[in-house]
Amino acid sequence: MKMNTKLVCAALACAICCRGFASSPSDLTAQEIIARSDEVRNPKKPFQVTLQLTEYIDGSARNETALTVYSKLGVAEEKFRNLVRYADPPRDRGKSVLMDGTLMWFYDPSSKASVRISPEQRLVGQASQGDVITVNLARDYTAHFLGSTEGETIQDADRVTRSCWHLELTPRTTEAVYAKAEYWVERNSFHPIKGKFYSDSGRVLKIAYYHRYEKQLGADRPGETIIVDAVNAKLVTTIDSHGYREVDIPDSWYQRGYLPRLKID
Amino acid sequence: MNDEQATVVFENVSKTYRMGEVEVPALKGISLEIPASRFSMVLGPSGSGKTTLLNLIGCLDQASSGTVTVCGQDISELSDRAVSQFRARHIGFIFQNFNLIPVLSAYENVEYPLVLLGLSANERRERTEQILEAVGLSRVATHRPNQLSGGQKQRVAIARALVKGPSLVLADEPTANLDSKTGAAIIELMYKVQAAYGATFIFSTHDPQLISHAQDSFVIRDGELIEHRVNEARLQNAEAK
Amino acid sequence: MNTLKIASRSILRNVRRSLMTVLAIAVGASSLVVFGEFVARVFAQLETRGVISGGHMAIYHRGYFDFGTGNPAAYGIRDYQSLLDLVANDAVLQPKINVATPIINLFGIAANFQDEASKTFFGRGVIPADYNRMQHWDEHGLRDFVVDASINTTDLSHGNVGVGLARILKLTKPLKLSAEKDASGVEEPAHGAELPKRDFTGLEDSTHAIENGSDSGASVARLDLLAATAGGAPNVVTFFADKAIAQGMKEVDDSFVLMNFALSQQLLFGRGEKQAVGIVLQLHHTRDIAAVRARLEQLFREKNLNLEVRDLKELQPFYKQAVGMFSAIFMFVAVIMIVIVLFTIVNTMSMSVMERTHEIGTLRALGVERTGVMAQFILEGALLGLIGTFLGLAVGVAISEFVNHAGLMWQPPGSAFPIPLKLMTSGAVRLFVSIGLGLSGVAIFAALIPARNAGRMAVVDALGHV
Repeated sequence: MKMNTKLVCAALACAICCRGFASSPSDLTAQEIIARSDEVRNPKKPFQVTLQLTEYIDGSARNETALTVYSKLGVAEEKFRNLVRYADPPRDRGKSVLMDGTLMWFYDPSSKASVRISPEQRLVGQASQGDVITVNLARDYTAHFLGSTEGETIQDADRVTRSCWHLELTPRTTEAVYAKAEYWVERNSFHPIKGKFYSDSGRVLKIAYYHRYEKQLGADRPGETIIVDAVNAKLVTTIDSHGYREVDIPDSWYQRGYLPRLKID
Repeated sequence: MNDEQATVVFENVSKTYRMGEVEVPALKGISLEIPASRFSMVLGPSGSGKTTLLNLIGCLDQASSGTVTVCGQDISELSDRAVSQFRARHIGFIFQNFNLIPVLSAYENVEYPLVLLGLSANERRERTEQILEAVGLSRVATHRPNQLSGGQKQRVAIARALVKGPSLVLADEPTANLDSKTGAAIIELMYKVQAAYGATFIFSTHDPQLISHAQDSFVIRDGELIEHRVNEARLQNAEAK
Repeated sequence: MNTLKIASRSILRNVRRSLMTVLAIAVGASSLVVFGEFVARVFAQLETRGVISGGHMAIYHRGYFDFGTGNPAAYGIRDYQSLLDLVANDAVLQPKINVATPIINLFGIAANFQDEASKTFFGRGVIPADYNRMQHWDEHGLRDFVVDASINTTDLSHGNVGVGLARILKLTKPLKLSAEKDASGVEEPAHGAELPKRDFTGLEDSTHAIENGSDSGASVARLDLLAATAGGAPNVVTFFADKAIAQGMKEVDDSFVLMNFALSQQLLFGRGEKQAVGIVLQLHHTRDIAAVRARLEQLFREKNLNLEVRDLKELQPFYKQAVGMFSAIFMFVAVIMIVIVLFTIVNTMSMSVMERTHEIGTLRALGVERTGVMAQFILEGALLGLIGTFLGLAVGVAISEFVNHAGLMWQPPGSAFPIPLKLMTSGAVRLFVSIGLGLSGVAIFAALIPARNAGRMAVVDALGHV
């Protein structure tokens, strides 16, 4: 499976480089669309971004967290590595979460210990949002069209009508978190508008809306992602992303053992 | 049962008791022969060693030195088990305090020695009934000792001592706990059965009536044999019968 | 015979003393009978409870029991159906087995998001027909299980929960549990004085996403069960609790979910291969455990299967510990009783020997050997012991009859409900025999010392110097 993945990724990379942006919609494969939409959300070069997470219960804000994410695409495997540092609330300042593919580690400076976050611990809470934020969909999922290749119209988070391709994603690698996903990508702009993520049992886990697109780091990026928890009817999480910046991130930052020595402002 | 050789032979017998760290010599080098089928008695003051002598004769104890021969058997050669069996077969006892087994009836008390000897039930019954008749206790055979008078109890003891036909009967102060009339009756009885069964009777006593019946007398004092008297008159009486 | 005659009559000479001795022994014997029967029933109850809920033995992937309970998916049994067939068709195993069924153990988060309650849970996935059949096992004929713990056989999304879990997840109304008072914990609000609001009504949300029938949450006990699959992916299933059944221990009661096997497979294995975590075997008779284990291990060796067998004592450590504790207490009580019997007999016989010194001397003079005298007194001690023991056994039986008809109730440790307090009279013959032999043996042993002293007496001393 890995061999095939590499081949497919290589093929994709070639396809993306060669094609550029000026292709006509009807020539595009579903996989290519997904790949393009991934680019919208994930800059290629190493970058940092500030995220403001707010949890709403029944529409009232309950929790606010500010995080700084340092993200770098791993060249060998095309998967993202993320170092998340808590900036706010003050009691959490200095805590970090290291995400390497599907592995997640939590580091608390007061105990100087890093603890692996098991899949069980990522079922609910902030850690469960991690999958949705940085998902390299093209790598982990096979896409095909649901409905017409010309697309369909849906309403985005602001109730603006958009013309989107409606795609279905099925797992391609063992690292794919969701058993199935539905994805709406706006035609021509390749902005992801909405995503519906399903569990292995067939139930919807999360519904994500991407909106408030603005130019950041050379492309349109969603300024806010709204994640509706499809299991907990009362919970909606909003993630405000701003302050995208290209930075040079040393690989050592993504090593678990390096976490205690990490010094960033 | 009439054995012409002496029933009891003592050769230079001594017995010493240890009381704490002190050694008490009870008998000092006694030699005697007690003839068979005789009414013999041992006389002496208390503390003279008389009881010790009787214990040795009865094979209830072993001599410290010297040889004790009873019915031709050197007692010192026997193990404790063998001595017990010897007693069971050859020696009958009559005690001052009767010493009956309190939970057994008169009949059962008398029968007991026969059980020890392993006789059959029929034989035991025959002998026991016979001797109870002889001592005149057939009526009270089923009574327990606590239902009998002193005289009756001693008769039971006599019957018990004789039921197995022993060679030797030892009586230690047999009339001491009886009134003079009863005592006289007992003495008559003993005399009668001795003559009938021919056993050797050896007893110790202070009772003058008993003393007068004796055919042989052995006087002990301070652990030594002082005198051996023979009452010829009594002997002739017996042989005459 | 004479010895026996003298022995039995001598006992009656001092009636009060003999009676006291006999009573002391009887008290000892009857206590052991009553306590022994009590303990026997407790064992039977514990065993029955364990066998009903978890069977006599379980087949697991090797290493699961010691290392894998935190990660059941990694220790799944892949071809469990052929394993079940193997067991069902084996000539040695088949007649001994009542139920052979696959099970799944898993854990995750159970949530009643409607009422903002969630809790980690421990889930057991069972085949309903098999599980319900297992509830009826009653080898010891106790017939004192009053609660119906059966699971829904028709709908695979239905099951049972522990009472504690039901309370924590605020299901007291739909499950008709007594609500003592409302949960009054306060959740810490976000920092900052203002709680901004936002309107998300334009978005698709859970009311569209799931087949939710919870218009009236007060009548249906609905939960979301979340767990990570074998592949590490988050998974969720809808679960309806039909009943809340109290589990013996609080930690279990606060987290227990009994679910349908198929549902648990869906939750634990997700898109992956559907496996089982264990095969549970309930036998007809507990005594067959060793034979079944031996045969299974033989089969595993022959077919080169990487499996292991665990039995009742390992699966239910509480059972093993409780049995151990009660056995220890029984031993302790038995030792005390033995000591009492010992002292009583030694005392009684010593006094008897001292009083009968003249009698001993007389017997010896008559020609009874030392061993004969010893035997006399040993026999008397033995008679006292036997009479006391038999009396005690009879009294014990009478007491147990009385208790069994008195209708008393009690709640043993680890039990969720009060159950009848009864004593186990079936199979008590073994108990009687061991008490009888034991205490009589002690009486004989106790009589030895005074008897030996009696035998060792010098004849002349025993007769006394008159």
